[in-house]
Parts: sequence; C-alpha cells; structure tokens
Amino acid sequence: MGARPLRQAGDSGDTVDREPDYRFTLANERTFLAWIRTALALIAGAVAVLHLVQLDWRPGVQTAVGSSLTALAVVIAVYAPVHWIRVQKAMRREGPLPTSVLPIITTIGVVFVCGTVLIGDFWL
Amino acid sequence: MRHGTDRGLLALTRNRRRDTGLQPERTLLAWQRTLIVIVVVTLLHLRIPFGGEDVAGDGLLHRLPPALIMLIVAGVLLVHLRRRWRGTGHGLHDDPRGRPIAPVARPWALLLLSAAAAGLGVVVALSAVAG
Repeated sequence: MGARPLRQAGDSGDTVDREPDYRFTLANERTFLAWIRTALALIAGAVAVLHLVQLDWRPGVQTAVGSSLTALAVVIAVYAPVHWIRVQKAMRREGPLPTSVLPIITTIGVVFVCGTVLIGDFWL
Repeated sequence: MRHGTDRGLLALTRNRRRDTGLQPERTLLAWQRTLIVIVVVTLLHLRIPFGGEDVAGDGLLHRLPPALIMLIVAGVLLVHLRRRWRGTGHGLHDDPRGRPIAPVARPWALLLLSAAAAGLGVVVALSAVAG
C-alpha cells in the first residue's frame, strides 16, 4: 500500500510515522464499532430492566442492575475511541499494539450483573 | 450526488484494484448495523406503548429531547457516510494517489458516535436514579 511518511507533533523526529495499511485501519474501525454496539446493547438491557419489564425484585436490586449496566456502557463508550486512537498511533509507528482493558472490564461487569440478577431473583 | 454516483459506477466497472476482501464494504455494513442499533435503542428508550398507556407514563416529554438528539446524530452520521462513500467511488480512492478510504468515516464521526452512546447511557442512568 502507498506508505505516506508523516511526522507527528510531539515526536522527537527520529521516528518516521507511516500511514498503516488501509485494511488494518478499517479493521480497527470495525472493532471500535463493535464495542459501541456492545455499549448500546447494554443500554437496551438497562432500559428493559428499569422501565419495560415488570419485575418482582426489590427496587434496590433493580436500580443496581440498571445502574451497573449503564455504567458499564458508559465506560465502554468512552474507552473505545481512546483505544482506537492508541491502536492507530501504534500502527503508524509500526510498534506493538496496545492491549485493551475492555474485555476484562466487560467480563467483570457482566458477571457482577448476573450475580445481582440471581440474588434479586431467588433470594430477595 | 449524481456526479458521485457516476464516478462510483465507473470505478466499479473499471477499477481492478478493488479489495478482494471487500474491507471497505464490510466496514460500511458495520456502520449501518451500528446506526440501526442506535435507532432501535432510542425507540426503546422512548418506550411508546403499542396499545396501552400504562408503560409510557408521564415522563415522555423528558425522554423526547435525548431521543431527538440521538436521531439527529444518527442522521448526521448517515449523511456523512453516504457523502463520503459516494465521493470516494464506493470507497475506492480517498485521495489523488488512489488509496482506498481508511477509515470509512472521518475521526470526528467516531468521536461523535461514542459521545452519543455515552450520553444516552448517562441519561438512562439518571432515569434509574430519578425513578
């Protein structure tokens, strides 16, 4: 692919940044969009738990589940573009790709929500 | 628009450097999926009942402004993607050197999308606290 050398402000000048292969850029963009869809799905779940479905849980449990889902969604929606920019910069410098904390955050959050739902459904 | 369409058709028929993995097309489809999900979640947040009036309640006026903002954001992104897709010959050449478009949307569109998603999350969280 046509590599276009460009320098970024803030670099020391000895590293030449190159525009990465467009397929990598597009893959990065699709990953970002998948995370945004994940966040939107979590928001949909929060709306369902909070307002749409009639539940026999205690109000506190319902609020906790809804708030956790939206908090998780906001974290994902805020972090997704940050990670997108980081990956893009790393690919320009042809350096190692940064790891994302989003999978772990999502896993912990979903496990927490599942536990709260179990407690709210069976023990309260 | 017409000019862009003709250029796109020309590019489709003549250009032999089309990505065999259809990467720009897949990315455009990912954008369309995302916009559809935005509209669906916004309607869910509005929760206008099909038959009864018990679910909608009295807070519809409070839910309408964020929903309108979300729909406007989706519209802006749709127009931006459409113009860019047509203007680049269906994603074939973004600049005079003939490189394909990457990313499909400009970076501001990605930031706008994530800001809108985060904003909707905050609104739903506030509705949980407010009851």
